[in-house]
Formats: sequence, structure tokens, C-alpha cells
Amino acid sequence: MAASSSKLREKRTVEMRVIGGWVDPGSRVLDLGCGRGVLLEYLVKRKGVQGIGVDRDFSKIAACVHRGLTVYQGDLEEFLRSFPDGFFDRVICSRTLEELADPSAVIGEALRVGRCVTVGFVNHGFWKNRLAILLHGRRPRNEVYTTPWWKTRPGNPVSIVDFEAFCRENRFRIHRRVWLKGDWESTCRIFPNLLAGYAVYELTREQQ
Amino acid sequence: MNESLETDALSQVGEVGLVEPKDFVSEEPFTFEDGSTIPGLTLRYETYGRLNAAGDNAIFVCHALSGDHHAAGIHSLRDRKTGWWNNIIGPGKALDTTRYFVVCSNCLGGCQGSTGPMSIDPRTGRPYGMRFPQVTIRDMVRADKRLVDHLGIRKLHAVVGGSMGGMRVLQFGIEYPDLIERMIPMATTARESAQAIAFNVVGREAIMQDPKWCGGDYAEGEGPNVGLAVARMMAHITYLSDESMARKFGRRKRVKDDTEQFEVESYLLYQGQSFINRFDANTYIYITRALDHFDLAGTYGSLESAFAPVKARTLCVAFTSDWLFPPKQNREFVLALLRAGKSASYAELEMDLGHDSFLVDAPALYDLVRDFLAN
Repeated sequence: MAASSSKLREKRTVEMRVIGGWVDPGSRVLDLGCGRGVLLEYLVKRKGVQGIGVDRDFSKIAACVHRGLTVYQGDLEEFLRSFPDGFFDRVICSRTLEELADPSAVIGEALRVGRCVTVGFVNHGFWKNRLAILLHGRRPRNEVYTTPWWKTRPGNPVSIVDFEAFCRENRFRIHRRVWLKGDWESTCRIFPNLLAGYAVYELTREQQ
Repeated sequence: MNESLETDALSQVGEVGLVEPKDFVSEEPFTFEDGSTIPGLTLRYETYGRLNAAGDNAIFVCHALSGDHHAAGIHSLRDRKTGWWNNIIGPGKALDTTRYFVVCSNCLGGCQGSTGPMSIDPRTGRPYGMRFPQVTIRDMVRADKRLVDHLGIRKLHAVVGGSMGGMRVLQFGIEYPDLIERMIPMATTARESAQAIAFNVVGREAIMQDPKWCGGDYAEGEGPNVGLAVARMMAHITYLSDESMARKFGRRKRVKDDTEQFEVESYLLYQGQSFINRFDANTYIYITRALDHFDLAGTYGSLESAFAPVKARTLCVAFTSDWLFPPKQNREFVLALLRAGKSASYAELEMDLGHDSFLVDAPALYDLVRDFLAN
């Protein structure tokens, strides 16, 4: 358990480096589904961003207040609707995607209020995840998915191919993307849907 | 939650203990928003903890409609009741008096020692009664600023308050941006709904229709007690929730003086009776009007322009079962603060005690406030 939690921490660090690398210092950043605020705190401290996190859960909000972050407890869509076009420099959606009830609406709104949107998600097409189903006929359990399905919030697993189809369908422009191998450390260049464990995308509005 | 931290905090929790109210007398004329002037004013207040040499560790606590300056501690060893927010103010508590200098005043227009309708107008030698100027939330805050200056406070580490206290908090942040570092409004609104105004209208009518009101010119203790008690009983319902009333009273009955009463009935009657012993009917009229007319968007054109000068960071806390100033109204001004480019956090506590949730024992609330004050 301790080993897997430290592994998860390493993975989070990489995730923060990748996502953080795209963030302009001092910019206005919105973190949708900010959780306990680990990423947001990193961005505030390292990048000096003016950051706001949104989450539904009171205990997560309390953890963020403890870290000295600005956070809002509530519904993501309702929050997004309350802001004018282009209010944020960047909207981040890190490992939130698969829990969204209406991903098109949320990402669409995020692209309206933000000049660009970062989406980071676990690739469920990754070979180990496929193997878990193929060999054991079970939902993958690993350092990212630590709990059995009945202790996990309802999720909507997505693969890299799924996500790119989603972007095409909704006319979200993929500005850049990074695929990371199973260790979330080294970059994956070929067969990402099979070999990448984690993917980070930067979306912009389709050019008029 | 870190367990050792928690027990550490608990072991240090103490009580404010004996406190003494003080009077601040300002002899400078005070002009109300409505243009009328009074020759000077008195604010009754209490303080807990010590102001540091830099004068920057002060927290100003703003009371609600029926509250007063007695926020914590006891006035004598025989006191069975502590100040109204004793559970959050004290050594080791969220408003930690070993670190902060906590100040609470009775608002301008009040009836617990501060200048209000009960006070004698020095120009006539008679109580102001309904000749008192129509006090506003902003007037209250401007009067409080005099007290803040008098106490030598250079920075308010925070202004904190629920309900009407939350309105005063927001107004403080707008009025004195360089003074206020943090705002903690709770269970409040930037303007009341028609429903909330309606309840206040009925309360005022109950008072003014009482034949003993006499246009506000009644002798002390001989005022419109029936009207005031009814106003309080009705208002008290709006501070609770269906669930909490069901739990506390249900349909249970009790026999009192050979008559059978619902428990909720005897509770409300008791609330009404105890209120008339401590509250002035004219003040009730004035302060509920101040509440009803508070409208930041209306006054400043929009909430965003109202909040434009704010420099403080904000933590707003709302309560799920509050139907008087519901979460939605709290969210509304937090979102406006954010749109105005300010730092504002919003948390919603799931409690079933209604509007008065902010006053009850709630460790999750204490932790939130403590953490926000520490950052």
C-alpha cells in the first residue's frame, strides 16, 4: 500500500510537471475537479498563477482552504455558466473527465470561459487495462485505481482514441498533446492507445 | 485530518471567562446615509484577547439582527448563558483569543447600549423613537470604523459574521478595502429575496398594529410587547428548518397550567417572551428595514462594481438547510467577487438546523475558519 501510494505520488509529480509546463506564470487558471488541491497548490507556488479550484465535496474544499487556496464548492457546469467568455487564461480538467456527467457540455463551456483547456486522463486503452479485462475479466486495480468498483465514484472510462473522436465530433481543436507510458514518466510516441498510460491534451476553440 | 494536530488544538481550548462591556463615545456628529445627522454616538462593545503592537491582529465580529456586543464569555459568575458566539471565540478556538484581538460591538441603531431609537436625543431630551434616522448596514459599518480607529487597530485580520452580520462583513470590505484583510460572511446575502422581506414586513406590522406602539413613543417596558413577541416568534421559524423542528419538537405535547400545548408552541411562546425582555420594538423596526434595504447590486449598479474596491480575501460559508438566506444567494455574491477578480472561496456545510446553523456547535466550520485565518 505504501509502495503504491508513493508510486502514485511520483505519477502525480510527472502529471504536475507536464500540466504545469503549459501554464503561463501569473495567468488566471481554473482547476475543474481540483480535489484536495495538490495540483493547484503547485501551480500557485511554482507558477504564481491566480488559481481557483472547483469541487463538489466539502472535505476536499476544506483541504484546499487548509492549503490556503481559493476554492468553490459546487457544480462545475453551474460555475462555468457564471463567467464571461475568455475570463480564464486556462481551464484544467485533470483526471476529472471520466466523472463528468456531460463531457461535451463541460469541455465546451470550459473552452468558452477559458482561452485554452488542459485535459489529463488515464488511458483505459492502455494494454495493462485491456489485459485486466481480458485475462481476469475484472476492472483494473492499480496504484491509480486503488479501490474496487463499488467504492469508486461512478466513472466513464475513456481511451485516447475515444477522446480524439470526442474532440473531432465536438469540433474541439487539439493544440498539443503528450502521451506518457505506463510509468507516466517517459513519453510514448507510437501506438498511444495501446502503450500510453496517461494522456494530456491542450484544446482550443476551433478557429472561426 | 491530522489527528495529533486536532488533539493539540483541543487540549488548548479554554474559555474567555469574565468580560466587561465598554462604551465608546464619539462626540463627532454622525451623518446617516439618508442625510440626517446626530450630534454624536455611543457604541457598546466587548473585546477578547490582546491587540498586538503592530495593531494588525484584530478580528471584528458582526452580530445579526437580534444579537449584540456580548459575543463571548460571561458577565458574572452567576451567568448561566455565555455570549452568543462563545463556541467559536476563545483561547484555542477558531477565533483564537490567544492570537487575535476579537472585537464585537452592538450595531448603530441597536438597543443594547449603542445609540439607537431608545437613546435620548440631546436636542429634545426625549428618546428618538421613530425620529431616529433610518440606519443602514453601511451606517452601522461607518460607525464601527470609528470604534476600530479608537481602539488603535491598523488592520483587521478579518471581519466575521453571519446573517445580517454577513451583510456588515461585505459592506466593511467594500467601504474600507485597505483596512480589511479577510472577510468571512456566513449564511448571508447581498440582497434579500421578496420572501425574506415579506417576513420582516409582517413582523413590523405586528409591532405597529399593537395599540401600545403609539407611533413609537412608548415608555420603557410599556411598549408593544405583544406585537414584538409575535414578530420574534414568526421570525424564529425562519431561522429553523422543517427537519430540525420535527426532530426537536415533532408533534409532542405538554401540559402547562392545565392546558395542553404543542412543544413547538411553548418553545415559540418562550422565545417571544424572552425577546421582549431584552429587545426594543423600534430597534426591531429599524434594523429589519436596514436588512430589507440592503442591496449591493442596486446601490452600486452591479455586484461586480460593488466589489471592485475590495482587497480582502473572502471565505463564504453557507448551510444547506438555510431557506432564509439560502446557499444560492451566498454563491451569487461569491461568484460576483470572483468575476470582479477577487479571491473568494465558497464552502457549503450540510447541516439541517436552518439559518441558525452558523451559531451551533460545528467542528467542520471551526476548522475551516481556523485554516482560512491562518493563511
